[in-house]
Amino acid sequence: MVMKSAVEDDDAGWGLGIPEKMKNNANWVDITHEFKGACKELNLGELLHDKLFGLFEAMSAIEMMDPKMDAGMIGNQVNRKVLNFEQAIKESVIKVKDLSLPELIGIIDTCFCCLITWLEGHSLAQTVFTCLYVHNPDLIEEPALKSFALGILKVCDIAREKVNKAAVFEEEDFQAMTYGFKMANNVTDLRVTGMLKDVEDELQRKVKGTRSRQGEQRNPEVELEHQQWLALFNRIKFTRLILTALIAFTKKETSSVGEAQKLVAQAADILSAIHSSIQHGIQSQNDTTKGDHPIMMGFEPLVNQRLLPPTFPRYAKIIKREDMVAYFSKLIERIKTVCDVINTTNLHGILDFFSEFSEQSPCVLSRSLLQTTFLIDNKKVFGTHLMQDMIKDALRYFVSPPVLSYKCCLFNNHQAKDYIDSFVTHCSRPFCSLIQIHGHNRARQRDKLGHILEEFATLQDEAEKVDAALHSLLMKLEPQRQHLACLGTWILYHNLRIMIQYLLSGFELELYSMHEYYYIYWYLSEFLYAWLMSTLSRADSSQMAEERITEEQVKGRSSKKTKKKKKVRPLSKEITMSQAYQNMCAGMYKTMVALDMDGKVHKPQFELDSEQVRYEHRFAPFNSVVTPPPVHYIQFKEMSDLKKYNPPPGSADLYLAASKHFQQAKLILENVTSPDPEVNRILKVAKPNIVVMKLLAGGHKKETKALPEFDFSAHKYFPVVKII
Amino acid sequence: MATMIEENGPSSHEQPEVSSSSQARLKLEGLLNKNMRIRMTDGRTLVGLFLCTDRDCNVILGSAQEFLKSTDTFSQGEPRVLGLAMIPGHHVVSIEVEADNLEDTQGFVANH
Repeated sequence: MVMKSAVEDDDAGWGLGIPEKMKNNANWVDITHEFKGACKELNLGELLHDKLFGLFEAMSAIEMMDPKMDAGMIGNQVNRKVLNFEQAIKESVIKVKDLSLPELIGIIDTCFCCLITWLEGHSLAQTVFTCLYVHNPDLIEEPALKSFALGILKVCDIAREKVNKAAVFEEEDFQAMTYGFKMANNVTDLRVTGMLKDVEDELQRKVKGTRSRQGEQRNPEVELEHQQWLALFNRIKFTRLILTALIAFTKKETSSVGEAQKLVAQAADILSAIHSSIQHGIQSQNDTTKGDHPIMMGFEPLVNQRLLPPTFPRYAKIIKREDMVAYFSKLIERIKTVCDVINTTNLHGILDFFSEFSEQSPCVLSRSLLQTTFLIDNKKVFGTHLMQDMIKDALRYFVSPPVLSYKCCLFNNHQAKDYIDSFVTHCSRPFCSLIQIHGHNRARQRDKLGHILEEFATLQDEAEKVDAALHSLLMKLEPQRQHLACLGTWILYHNLRIMIQYLLSGFELELYSMHEYYYIYWYLSEFLYAWLMSTLSRADSSQMAEERITEEQVKGRSSKKTKKKKKVRPLSKEITMSQAYQNMCAGMYKTMVALDMDGKVHKPQFELDSEQVRYEHRFAPFNSVVTPPPVHYIQFKEMSDLKKYNPPPGSADLYLAASKHFQQAKLILENVTSPDPEVNRILKVAKPNIVVMKLLAGGHKKETKALPEFDFSAHKYFPVVKII
Repeated sequence: MATMIEENGPSSHEQPEVSSSSQARLKLEGLLNKNMRIRMTDGRTLVGLFLCTDRDCNVILGSAQEFLKSTDTFSQGEPRVLGLAMIPGHHVVSIEVEADNLEDTQGFVANH
């Protein structure tokens, strides 16, 4: 077993912790025999330990020679020399010039796979930097490989910078550690793209030179060469386009986002050509289908083994080359979607955009790009608009508060201006955080949503105070107008949306047990959606009141405007959707209660907890919110008590009622003009549930004790109930 | 703290002082928190503070560092910081303690 120290020069930092005396040649005395003898005297199971050290501490020790915990063991058990780049060149096991085309293609493809694996959350040391070439591109003499190595490093560097800046990752998403690797910082971005472009032009000449001419007898060897030149050309071009697109994202102007979109679209066009030429590249010598590290020239999976942290090793399974193109094309699709965000200018639209984007569980790079495109340097939206202005626009759109209306005397009142400006300034941080939360992965979002409710509770309080102050000002100036609960309604609306999302995401993340469904759906339908709808209708009437005043003022000049009464209310779509959601939740609630009556819900034997404990845990984050007030378990039990009805409904009545709710949801959704995919998804659940509930109400399979199944495949939040 | 010690298994102090086993215990206790160098079956060497052992000679070292080759000088290769590490008894090849710490463990060596 020969093992060379793979990293002699660049990990000097690890040695800093050694106490001085250990560096000196201390006198070591062998006590193996005595020690082992003394150990044998101990009783079975007895631990000899220091007073301050016990089993508890011992548990966190890593076990040596256990392949699952001991990262150092793997490197030590390989029967080959682990060489770093310089050593490998010296021993001429790696070429730095005159590489064959298949070698170049194979190396590039493997690098792409490593890049993707890194983006999927593995460490750089175990992915991209297993490629020896990127350790020091200056040593590469082959121009195509050199520019490619630099290009990959730049891509990594920009991606890392974007992800770090956006700060929407957790350890499960991304490893930000660079282990001191040099990311081609001595070369400018422009120089690298220039080098790639030069190589690309050169390759294009080769491609043209080997192209078949009309009437020519095609030599299969020339044809093969042509294919290989083309394969290399496409790979270099792809690298350049991706790099240039990422560079465009680092610019501050919004126009560069459009440019990035064009570039990635061009890159996407090359992907199929790359996919069809994968077989031209050299393959690794070992079987990588199980996700093993490819072993081939230029790659040494163990070169960084000693850089890994002392936690148990995480194996980085490098993705297969066959999957590479599919990943890239999805990534590019996501980046294209991200670029579309600049077309949305109102805050509510942006919030919807972020939450819709997040629903497809995008990768950390695209999530980060979305964040950094939205808030450039955390100051201005898209680099141009002030967050405060966006908030004012959102307020105008949502409740049309008199204070923000040009026609109102408050608009130019100094005091009113101070009130509203300071409120809007206070809003901007929580709203930026809310948008940032939507950039996190789905599981983390829920946790963070629970926490941000505290900030919104503070805003709510302020909104109400500002409303009151503005109202008393307005009463003095224009007694016929009101400024009641305008800002408060708007904050309440966001509060409710966050609370609803918090509860619903629990279904998506499969956090709830079946026996918990009923109180979750109850809370949603009877409480949160009811509040949401009254909030929306209050906003709507506030809008109408404002419009009436504007109309009256306009009336004097022209009578034309009054005919435009039939225009669509801006909030009507949202009100309709809330009604549908509420009916879906109510239907699910009644279904669950009825199933429970029939003994078809498995309830755990509560030993250490009770339903109340679980209930309180589920709704714990809502305790920080003042409006709407949290519903405590006792209140919930009282409010949902069926005995208050005379006669109390049986399971058949409840199934029928549930069926009606689903029916109602279906009716509402079918009347939606221009239905979006979400409408269709809910309909896919509502329709079968109508039928199932009618069957159950008719006593179908009443005696069966088999538990029903809940199929969330059609919709994340509402299941299709299946009786087996 | 008191409960912690109880949880951590029988404390050696409560053992009667006469038997050979209690002598062995005393010896081992004398080594606690001393720098120890353990060579493993795969050729690696760990250096760290001796914290805990048991009948099967499983040893726990604190602030352990891993050296790839057993050498007297550490010139060959830099160590890797491991932290708390447990070496299973059957992988222990040799155990050494630092000499300047040996004065108070003299009894240990002299008694063999």
